[in-house]
Amino acid sequence: MAATATGIHHRSYTSELRLRATRAEYFRLGLMTVLLLVLPFVLDNYWLSIANTILIAVIGAVGLNILVGYTGQISLGQGGFMAVGAYSSAILSDRIGLPTPLAILLAVLLTAAVGVFFGLPGLRLKGLYLAIATLASQVIIEFLVRRDIGDFLTEGLGYINVDRLAFLGFEIGGRDVFEQQWYWILLVLAVLTVISARNIFRTGLGRSFMAVRDQDIAAEAIGVNLTRAKLTAFAVSSGFVGLAGSLTAHYSEVVSWEKFTLDVSILYLAMIIVGGLGSIAGAVYGAVFMTLLPELIRRLANALESTMPFLGDQLPAVRNATFGAVIIAFLIFEPRGLDRIWQRMKDYVRFWPFRY
Amino acid sequence: MFGKSRSVAVALAAASALVLSACGGDDGGGGDADSDEPISIGIIADLSGATGDVGTPYNQGMLAYIKWRNGDGGIEGRQIAAESNDYAYEVPQAESLYKQYVNDGVVAIQGWGTGDTEALSGSVGKDELPFMSGSFAEPLTDPAEAPYNFVVAPTYSDQMRVALNWINEDSGGSGEVAVFHNDSPFGQAPVQDGEDWVAEKGYDLGYQAYAMPAGSQNYVGLLSQAQAQGAKYIVIQNVASPAALVAKDIAAQGLDMKIVCLNWCANELFIDSAGADVAEGHILIQPFAPMSVEKPGHEPINEYLEAEGTDPETIGTSWVQGWYAMHAMAEGIEHTLVEGNELTGANIRESLETMGPIDTGEVIGGGPLEFSADSHRGSTSTGIYQAQDGMMVELEAGATP
Repeated sequence: MAATATGIHHRSYTSELRLRATRAEYFRLGLMTVLLLVLPFVLDNYWLSIANTILIAVIGAVGLNILVGYTGQISLGQGGFMAVGAYSSAILSDRIGLPTPLAILLAVLLTAAVGVFFGLPGLRLKGLYLAIATLASQVIIEFLVRRDIGDFLTEGLGYINVDRLAFLGFEIGGRDVFEQQWYWILLVLAVLTVISARNIFRTGLGRSFMAVRDQDIAAEAIGVNLTRAKLTAFAVSSGFVGLAGSLTAHYSEVVSWEKFTLDVSILYLAMIIVGGLGSIAGAVYGAVFMTLLPELIRRLANALESTMPFLGDQLPAVRNATFGAVIIAFLIFEPRGLDRIWQRMKDYVRFWPFRY
Repeated sequence: MFGKSRSVAVALAAASALVLSACGGDDGGGGDADSDEPISIGIIADLSGATGDVGTPYNQGMLAYIKWRNGDGGIEGRQIAAESNDYAYEVPQAESLYKQYVNDGVVAIQGWGTGDTEALSGSVGKDELPFMSGSFAEPLTDPAEAPYNFVVAPTYSDQMRVALNWINEDSGGSGEVAVFHNDSPFGQAPVQDGEDWVAEKGYDLGYQAYAMPAGSQNYVGLLSQAQAQGAKYIVIQNVASPAALVAKDIAAQGLDMKIVCLNWCANELFIDSAGADVAEGHILIQPFAPMSVEKPGHEPINEYLEAEGTDPETIGTSWVQGWYAMHAMAEGIEHTLVEGNELTGANIRESLETMGPIDTGEVIGGGPLEFSADSHRGSTSTGIYQAQDGMMVELEAGATP
């Protein structure tokens, strides 16, 4: 339906259910598509590697947002779940010899199962208490992969070298095309992730997640099976997170516990807070923002090094401080994140010259 | 309404396209043997992270070598252009820097930590970039495992073996050894090999490893565990600052324990941070000769320092390590150019493997470095020093396991 200066008015249920209602939205979608398709041809390999990191982060952040933003179950176990995905996919494909796509799929399912297991406390615990319980999952998984008792995971090496990704007779090429080929793979997966996550929340299941978040007792009263909703949320979320983890393993071609620490869990939480809790688009914006931020800070510090040498000397400290400041700033000025800021910008344009 | 948002969007797209295209990198580095372009090398340094206390002088040593060598006419007339960035001992930062260097077309990389060197070893193999680092972990010496990694000193495991040999002798053949290690791949690297060595040699030494919690302000708790074990010797595989804390705690508690520091805590920084009295008598396993022990290899360093007006007294062993790690890389590059080969990672690797011994003026392990196609273990010998009156005094040069 056409948008008017007073808002978007739906005249049928089908139109309300549509993902896009206005021509402007279709136009932006087209623009976005063109941008994504053109990107690998204009970016050099370094910036493409950042784009690839962003795409993996998008998958992980969308997964986390399903749990935290949509179902209201705070999770500090992101890093641990990514580790489950990474280790299992690397072991299944390289050591056991399964085809990589199958290994990734199994890793996703395994991470979902592990997620459900560590989600069990969520049936009894809420809010901060659940956060601490998921923190335990992070610590336990990190401990297991770090100590690697019995050398089962890394065969005593401390890390796993992962072969270059190959499937169905196709193998990722050398360093000239490596980033570009990965870009296409990751782009497809990230887009599928976003589309499927977006659509979950148009189904009864997705709505039951949101009902649990908004008021779990009321949700139970209207017939939502709390156990089922919470555990499914953990499963779905961990599945996506496991996918992000296994892609990290195959993309960076090495698995070591240092990439799945508590810092990672917090970084992902920061992504969805900055991007916007309870919004798929927000998770995407957050992933883009939080991955680009350190890079941009570094570039800025290098550029300003001659005038302000302390910036370069204290770069990691400056970066951490900026990170913290950004999160606080978002919590104060726009708790609903980048997504909400973008909405307001669109509204501003749409209603101009009126304010609402 | 649409017109407005559309033109804004188009403007945004145009602007971002402009920004993105401006990000394009240039291809430096490599090229023909007879080109005179600068040789670009990427350096991944820890200046501000958990190991920054020794990482900073190591990095300064490297940059100093490059400056000295460039002032000396460079390598075969070509200047070295090094990009050096701080990664704060965080693996993801190292990966990001690595990608940047690859994109910038470097021909070789100087890294730092064990975790990140191991994490990158697969990639450098596939990208064919010779990689040296401040990490001397044993798996990196095996070309089958890490084809492009070169270890320019005896490995942590070899240093641990030398340490255990020394302890076995000093203790008269029986005693308890506690190993305090950094809680990371770097710290864990020699732990298992040390235990195996005790078994292999049939030493009558008790052997127990303890992870040192990061950021601890004192190690009294760990020491009391070591005391319960009956340990008289504490082997420390960590950087200087935490090791100095252990030394202080031993002194404060009045314990009868001797520290045997491996590599990254075996330096002047350990002695200075602990204080000369506290450090007195502790043992330092250090493959790189400190400035105080005058070796022929220190001459170019002294020359450089004099020209710079720097007091050699202020130069620690970590600095010398950086200098000579870069020296080894530069020699490999020089050999590639002298042979008339194109300057690529693969050719530099071949040079390093086939060029024979690299002279270090007795600074590294009291002898030359040598790599081969079967082994990237540059050296197996290390010096043993003792802290005496605030100085590192050589007990033995060129000790091997």
